[in-house]
Amino acid sequence: MGVIVLQLFAVPEGKSGPQVIDILTKRVTSLGGVLSGSFMVDCETYTSVASLGATRSVHLLHNSETPASVFALLEAASGNKTVALVADNLFDLLMLKLSNFYQAKKQTKIESRGPRFEAGDFLVKLGSVTMGPTFKGILVEVEYQACSLPAACWDLIREFMQGFLGGCVPSTPPQYIQNRFGDMLGPIDGINQYLEQFNAFRKTTGIR
Amino acid sequence: MAGNQNPISAIDMLTSALRSNIIPNQEYLLQGSVIDSSAEVLHNRLRGLCDAAETGPETFHDHEMCFSLKASSPGGTPQQQQSFLLRVRRALDHPEYPWQLRYLGQPELGEKNQPTVLRSCIDIACTPNVVEFLSELGCRIEFEYVLKGYLFRKGRMKVTMSKIFRMGQAKSPDSLEAMTGSYLVELSLLAPSGQDAVADEIKVFAEQLRPLVHLEKIDYRRLQSYS
Repeated sequence: MGVIVLQLFAVPEGKSGPQVIDILTKRVTSLGGVLSGSFMVDCETYTSVASLGATRSVHLLHNSETPASVFALLEAASGNKTVALVADNLFDLLMLKLSNFYQAKKQTKIESRGPRFEAGDFLVKLGSVTMGPTFKGILVEVEYQACSLPAACWDLIREFMQGFLGGCVPSTPPQYIQNRFGDMLGPIDGINQYLEQFNAFRKTTGIR
Repeated sequence: MAGNQNPISAIDMLTSALRSNIIPNQEYLLQGSVIDSSAEVLHNRLRGLCDAAETGPETFHDHEMCFSLKASSPGGTPQQQQSFLLRVRRALDHPEYPWQLRYLGQPELGEKNQPTVLRSCIDIACTPNVVEFLSELGCRIEFEYVLKGYLFRKGRMKVTMSKIFRMGQAKSPDSLEAMTGSYLVELSLLAPSGQDAVADEIKVFAEQLRPLVHLEKIDYRRLQSYS
């Protein structure tokens, strides 16, 4: 497991989501990327019922890259802490059993899905984000699989990303990566970045 | 999954697994106990009857915590409050193993001729921060104990012989205090729902142990009303 960087790619005026995916696909392919299936990351949010006291939210995320795991990210009642539990996929079944206490927020199921490419040590995923039937924008995930330490490979990742995404990739790492620049990262760090982006999409009306 | 052309969403996968009845979420269970002085005889009998007789049984040393999630309904008495129980288990002798989160439904005793207790059961391996997760979820710890014993397998059946220890104040393994002078014996099998024929298989095996231990359907509601 390497370092994952998730980047929002703003949809240019007058272009549709599939058109942008086509353009990016050509660019990734010309960089040596080979199409290797597709991917999906989805997120459903459950909130506690009133009789349970202070409101808490559980975000349940799945990633097709790690199909046997469920990521349950709980926003504590205090609001300033998130507990990230990684569990077997029967956790979904348990969540259904908890429906008297935690209920899925309607119309907020959000997912990013699209083609997946391998380019040497890099994994590139071009995701179209949809909430329900509505297209919300494009998220590009780049993973450098050969290293788990951002401090050791950020420059390489940045150069690779700028190669096909252009100027939208800043020279400084995203805040999430910056805060963990000297740490070993794992699958949960990719999931945390997806949740951050999904929450931002949910707050935005229209396309980002 | 990575090579899959069209990944199926986890919820769709779960729904179709539920529909085709392939999730082993029903536990068939018989329980009994054997006094310490006779434990060795039962141990030897089980060793002879169960699989891997040469290597002997696996041992386990687990810590189990039971949590409850309660929603208070305004004006309701505590009995009217809904309560949801979840258990967390960790292997004290193998700290590197994943922790286990377990949901157990109400045991169904069924008709008199139903050979075993049946209860729904979901076992989920998870990361060690599950205790913090459950606390933040709103759960409160109800009780905890330590189990130490042997695990035998006979095909799909699982037989455990374990001693229950009270968790000392210091919560260190040295401060363990045995709760009784006997071993708890459990014979169980996890299967998808609708496979009731396995209950007979369990009953037949329990009969083979009958001279040494009586494995029965235990009615918890009855036990609670005695205490």
